Amino acid sequence: MAENDLKIGAALAAATCSLLGVATPATSVAAEAPSKWDIESAFLFYGESDSRVKDLSLSAQAARDFGDDRKLGLDLSVDSLTGASPNGAIATGGAQTFTSPSGRAVYSTPAGEIPLDGTFHDTRFALNGNWSQPFARLYTLNAGLGFSSEFDYQHIGGNFGITRDFNQRNTTLSAAFAYAQDTIKPVGGLPAPLALMPDAVNDDEDGRPPNRLGGNDSKNVMDLLLGVTQVLGRHTVMRVNYSYSDSSGYLTDPYKILSVVDPVTGDLVGRTPAPGESGPTGVYRFESRPDSRRKQGLYAEMRHDFSGKVLQVGYRYSTDDWEVDSHTLESRLRLPLGESSYLEPHVRYYTQSAASFYQYSLANTAPLPQFASADARLSEMSAVTLGLKYGRATAGGNEWNARLEFYRQTARAPADQLIGNQVGNAQMPDFDAVILQFGYHFKL
Amino acid sequence: MRKLLLLAVVCGTFTGCANLGVKPWEREVLAREDMQLDANALDTAFDDHIYFSKEGASGGRGFGGGGCGCN
Repeated sequence: MAENDLKIGAALAAATCSLLGVATPATSVAAEAPSKWDIESAFLFYGESDSRVKDLSLSAQAARDFGDDRKLGLDLSVDSLTGASPNGAIATGGAQTFTSPSGRAVYSTPAGEIPLDGTFHDTRFALNGNWSQPFARLYTLNAGLGFSSEFDYQHIGGNFGITRDFNQRNTTLSAAFAYAQDTIKPVGGLPAPLALMPDAVNDDEDGRPPNRLGGNDSKNVMDLLLGVTQVLGRHTVMRVNYSYSDSSGYLTDPYKILSVVDPVTGDLVGRTPAPGESGPTGVYRFESRPDSRRKQGLYAEMRHDFSGKVLQVGYRYSTDDWEVDSHTLESRLRLPLGESSYLEPHVRYYTQSAASFYQYSLANTAPLPQFASADARLSEMSAVTLGLKYGRATAGGNEWNARLEFYRQTARAPADQLIGNQVGNAQMPDFDAVILQFGYHFKL
Repeated sequence: MRKLLLLAVVCGTFTGCANLGVKPWEREVLAREDMQLDANALDTAFDDHIYFSKEGASGGRGFGGGGCGCN
């Protein structure tokens, strides 16, 4: 239909031009023909210091306008993850040996180093589709479906939203709902909460390794988002979102453990594998998290134009019933360089409080808590990102860009949890990461 | 009394919003691609996924793409 309109438009333009006695601007009419697809594509490298996680990712976001503001969006991404990840155990004065997540092999960490589990590698595919269209004057409806798949994790979700414009379209209210069902199928099975890490079983032994409950579990996530977008003036626009998220089901990280330590010295309790077996040389327990989590967040973002330069500032506060409260402050400044390129510095600061059940280590005599995790992502920590992006428009109206960012995460050991020799010696698995991205934005 | 106060605040907010904004012919700058709140959507999606995997809090801007990649 849009193409018919165009042809009619072109015919009218030609008729008008001939009536006025001027040459038909055939080329400009052709240039106005809308492209079918608008595609943002990018390649991303993410690499952490000390041979930790590396991620190579390819992603494309395609959008097509079918006319009358009826829009289709398709996002596709592929990730390949390799490297080593902290397993939650503390660094000790001696070398440490652990049973790998599969329960069928062991790996070791040198003395004085934060134990890293290097046995994982994963490939992730994700596909999202979204349709939006006007519903009545001033209303827009949108609905989407998403799917992602990893070796040990599958996600399927749907979302639905409605927006309404007010005040000469200077104010837009939006409400959206999303529901997802995820399936977790850990390598080696689901560890029993707070169970001891056992010796490795032989590869030729059938069945599940000891202290595992089953093969897989699921988690459901319900999200609600209410937003206001407001034009504040000719050069300024802002939005504020309130978000509510309710997760239930298996929220534990099946690959994370805690070190069991002497209640006086704070040193790791030693252990000897059974004769003829290989296994942990210290006592470790699998972590355990609550099976529900309710989060609330407030997000505000503003864009302001200073005669061609665009300043973007965003702030997010979030709080949840695990007691992880966080503040995120982020800013970008887009600086045009001549007619066709720009430079965009980016800065981000993040800080969070520790989850109520975060534990640096577990004292050997204490009764076991119901929930405990030594995952640094649930500890008190902060992070800084500094980045720079450069973009350049091509003669054909497409754009290529490159982005380089540095990320530094610093966790704080909880002073009130440190025991004996841990005081003054506690190490947290801090890391630096580099993000390098090349993108190409084009129309088909 | 409290309800009245709430009503006054809500009305005040909406009346306030009604005075904010621009006329349709004043949207030249706001219509620019770099002034769209969803500009850099791909960068944002990458970032949200990285921070979701590395930090304890996530979301808030919109809905995530899903998945874990949690190592």
